Amino acid sequence: MKTISKIAGLLFITLFSLGTLSAQGGYKIGDEATDFKLKNVDNKMVSMADFKDAKGFIVIFTCNHCPYSKAYEDRKIALSKKYAKLGYPVIAINPNDPAAQPEDSFELMQVRAKEKNFPYPYLFDDGQKIYPQYGATKTPHVFVLKKENNKHIVKYIGTIDDNYKNANDVSNKYVEAAVDALLAGKEVEVKTTVAIGCTIKVKK
Amino acid sequence: MRSIITLLAIPVSISIILLSLSSCKNSGSGSEESEHSMGSTNAEFNQGKAESTNNENFSEDINIKLVNFEQLKPAYINNDDVLYVVNFWATWCGPCVQELPHFMEMNQKYKSNEKFKMILVSLDDSDNLETAVKNFARRMKLDADLYLLDDIKKMNEWIPAVNKDWSGSIPATLVIKNGKTLSFDARALTKEELEERISKHL
Repeated sequence: MKTISKIAGLLFITLFSLGTLSAQGGYKIGDEATDFKLKNVDNKMVSMADFKDAKGFIVIFTCNHCPYSKAYEDRKIALSKKYAKLGYPVIAINPNDPAAQPEDSFELMQVRAKEKNFPYPYLFDDGQKIYPQYGATKTPHVFVLKKENNKHIVKYIGTIDDNYKNANDVSNKYVEAAVDALLAGKEVEVKTTVAIGCTIKVKK
Repeated sequence: MRSIITLLAIPVSISIILLSLSSCKNSGSGSEESEHSMGSTNAEFNQGKAESTNNENFSEDINIKLVNFEQLKPAYINNDDVLYVVNFWATWCGPCVQELPHFMEMNQKYKSNEKFKMILVSLDDSDNLETAVKNFARRMKLDADLYLLDDIKKMNEWIPAVNKDWSGSIPATLVIKNGKTLSFDARALTKEELEERISKHL
């Protein structure tokens, strides 16, 4: 009986630590983010290394189907237009498996990118290898990276701003504040934020 | 003796790890049919309208309280020995919609117990409360305590207040008693997982 309760205890601990791991996996502020080589909607492969002059990146895990991703579409475009020329291009990555969410297929990514004339690369995390390394848990999920000694250091993780519903009633533009601080050579003040988002879809 | 226990425990824990990993995978996937985008929420809106006009005899109304987080807190943070199961969901969230029948089944099973209360917190756009959300709740026969949490601009405050490790992905389920969190899962739960979380503490 004792044996059983000990095994049960161990199992419980294993399960518990797994839960904690999955909740806290991925990058923290100050970690080095991995580069990637993913297919863009124009069928070309894109890596951060391709952007020789970039000072950093605004990496956004996003997708077609999620209402929050849609609500932020115009703001993602605005971020790209504002910051690409300042050295912080936006790179959007769709982390969802189309087998689990057909609206997020590569073909439909191409359609959406064309409709909205995305000024940024919209990459497909084919095989879902990249998002788990970053620790993205939902769409949209933003990682602001700064290039330091040819490494991509995570400086901000979270949401774009504090009002997904109404872009005209935003009090805190978190991503802009983070990139502005980095451009000014300052410390990012608010380094992490959270917001409701759509879970990343994984095939059964 | 101890070494035998360890030897036994390792393969069992590994198999549990594998099992739980595969169940994570399962729970992450959304049903294509039930995944609502904003576009289809509008479709649902219209459909809901049609339904309510075609269904004049439907007299039993559904009560969904529109609250901010400060108003939601007293609904589940109390020193009353009640086990609160609090689920955060939205009509457009496929995995949420898929797991809701498990919650209804568990509520049927346990709601006669005065030390048990189930609370469903919709994170839908409050503009859709009277239409899409209420129609959905009627259709799914959601009979737990229903709230729509409309506190968009303070997400960065109340999400960590619900659970410090929560990034805000839904579905998410909190099991809490006397203000003390007993479990928190930011993923879909199977019926067995949900029942385990309830029965263990009831």
